[in-house]
Amino acid sequence: MVVSVRSWVANEGGKHLVLVLWLGANTWLFLRTFLLYSTGQQYYYLYKMLGLGLCISRASAAVLNLNCSVVLLPMCRSLLTYVRGTHTVSSRKTRRLLDKSKTFHVACGVAICIFSVVHVSAHLVNVVNFSVSYSDDFPALNVARYRGEVRHTLPGVTGVLLVLILFLMFTASSYCIRVSNYEIFWYTHNLFIVFYIILMVHMVGGALKYQTNIEAHPPGCLRANQSSPEQQGEELEQSEDEERRCREEAHFQPHCPQTWLWVSGPLCLYCAERFYRYIRSSDPVTIVTVIRHPCNVIELRMLKRDFKARPGQYIVLNCPGVSSFENHPFTLTTCPTENKETFGIHLRVVGDWTERFTELLLPEQGIASEILPMVQQRRYPKLYVDGPFGSPSEEVFNYEVSLCVAGGIGVTPFACVLHALLNGWVGFRLRRLYFVWVCRELKSFYWFAELLCALHHKLWQENRPDYLNLRLYVSQTDKLQSMSEEKYRPLSSRLLVGRPRWKLLFDEIGKTNKHNRVGVFCCGPKSISRTLHRLCNSARYSGTTFEFNKESFS
Amino acid sequence: MGKIEWAMWANEQALASGLILLTGGIVGVAGQFRGWQFAAYGVAAGVFVCLLEYPRGKRSKGTSVERTGQYCFTVCVKSFGPLTRNYYVRAFLHAALCVPGGFMLATVLGCVCLGISSLIYLGAAIHGEQWMPILPQKEQTRKPVGESIKNPPQNPPPRPPAELRRKRVEDLEGAAYVNPIAVTAND
Repeated sequence: MVVSVRSWVANEGGKHLVLVLWLGANTWLFLRTFLLYSTGQQYYYLYKMLGLGLCISRASAAVLNLNCSVVLLPMCRSLLTYVRGTHTVSSRKTRRLLDKSKTFHVACGVAICIFSVVHVSAHLVNVVNFSVSYSDDFPALNVARYRGEVRHTLPGVTGVLLVLILFLMFTASSYCIRVSNYEIFWYTHNLFIVFYIILMVHMVGGALKYQTNIEAHPPGCLRANQSSPEQQGEELEQSEDEERRCREEAHFQPHCPQTWLWVSGPLCLYCAERFYRYIRSSDPVTIVTVIRHPCNVIELRMLKRDFKARPGQYIVLNCPGVSSFENHPFTLTTCPTENKETFGIHLRVVGDWTERFTELLLPEQGIASEILPMVQQRRYPKLYVDGPFGSPSEEVFNYEVSLCVAGGIGVTPFACVLHALLNGWVGFRLRRLYFVWVCRELKSFYWFAELLCALHHKLWQENRPDYLNLRLYVSQTDKLQSMSEEKYRPLSSRLLVGRPRWKLLFDEIGKTNKHNRVGVFCCGPKSISRTLHRLCNSARYSGTTFEFNKESFS
Repeated sequence: MGKIEWAMWANEQALASGLILLTGGIVGVAGQFRGWQFAAYGVAAGVFVCLLEYPRGKRSKGTSVERTGQYCFTVCVKSFGPLTRNYYVRAFLHAALCVPGGFMLATVLGCVCLGISSLIYLGAAIHGEQWMPILPQKEQTRKPVGESIKNPPQNPPPRPPAELRRKRVEDLEGAAYVNPIAVTAND
């Protein structure tokens, strides 16, 4: 498939620009520090003793400083949500960059690991050189106390601890572990605070020293005084040369630790953010209703004081009755409005936490109790909600034409969008919404069948039938399926059996929206999002640009 | 809460420790440090640990994600039978392998990391976990054909008697007949 330059730039340009800038900053910092240590006058004697290991270790340390400070910034989720919400501050291009904040965090993390390996290897060489090239001329420069000693130093011990913590954090962050045992990932990643504290004391002790009196003692002049007897004649002539004469011994001073300059700002910001989130979520929510839907989905309606959210945002639930420390994200399916203060989520029961949570919400009803409903005081478990946090789906209203593709339970962000349209579709920039929902089973459509039909009827009543273009696909083709209820006629007549043909869909949207910018929002399995991403970058459509926005749940 | 599979984390850690041991050993050998024999041992032990730990085991519940190209490693590791299946064996093996690394500065990090992963493997073994190979599943048999095909109709469709069906050259129009039962295409 031919890639169109304009589409590629619209979809990938911003990300790649940030990547190039970040790589450039790292490279520049590495080279600058390398050259400083290899050619700088104040490091002349140190460089003679340690060689290349000095330059590589200090250059990688500078890169590590940069990445350790920048890695925290994408994780300040409340701050990013605020930046996303203020439309005056940022353009849509900047907001789309915020979608990739987790990817940037991972990139910085990988850079930290790689450069830690380089840094440790270079310092191993330094340790050997400190002991082998023990300098008798400049005893102050040495770290070892005598030739051949390998000495324990504070930087050495803290360095080993740092690598161990990094090792634990890194091994628990792979995709496999996050998907299967999220708790291991979460608890080890929270060791970052120990990592940063040790990092800030890593340089205390000053193993590497620089020369302070370069004018009085130009580097290399000591050798001029200690030259061989044959050159004594020339020496006497040169001894008057002002520049080559050493007036005093070389003085050395260790560096003051610089890491805290880099790291303290983002660390304080992140700690403030965590504190703010803790305070905000300490107010427990009231559970108003719990509804059971087909295909293992539970709808939960809640109420919380001063809770405001925009369509497309997600919240994080914590239920101490299930697990004290686990937090799980769920997209909001109903946002609080002026008329109705409740907000709701749909959660699919898959995994330990959701199963246990459902058991607490809906105790198993025996057959007898269905015949004789017992009136009992419903005791719902205590629930804490953190959020709301921003997501790419908030941008649906900011395009003139949007295509929303949902796979299964991935419909939840778009359900909130549809609710917002039901409350009032006038006043948004959005003029047409293509809504494609692919499910494995027919019963899944009943989660939002009423919402879809209500919106469809409202738009027909208000004479905008072309606003919502609805297509439902059932991907399991073995059983003959249809929705038989009369009230769901608009859905059953738009129901197609089999997987959607994306190219045809894109062709159709391209032809009817020429020279427009269409926002494509995908929330579903990886195969669908990959196909859509590829189609958005390809060159088939008559002047239409498709901008791809993906929402991911992991 | 819930059942945590410690073996999966221990596997990631052991693989990473193998790489760290290998890197430390290479630095030690290349720099000809004092005690470089331990570094050479580190290289060998690192390679061995990486080969042993590369194939991921099967999860007890849920889908298992393979590492790229791990099938041949899976076959090799599986052939050792209970030695590789049991996590107690792995825990003690890693503990034994990591000890010589502690004698040299370049490999001490690899030693500590391998020691940690050996402890986690011990925890996994105490929880009763086992290494099971991820083998490709046999091709799913095609969906069985619908039952109706197996029982073709026993009787021919209803037709009028033979003398009416015989084409009469002189009376072509009379030879045509209306099928008594409507025949429509199945949807």
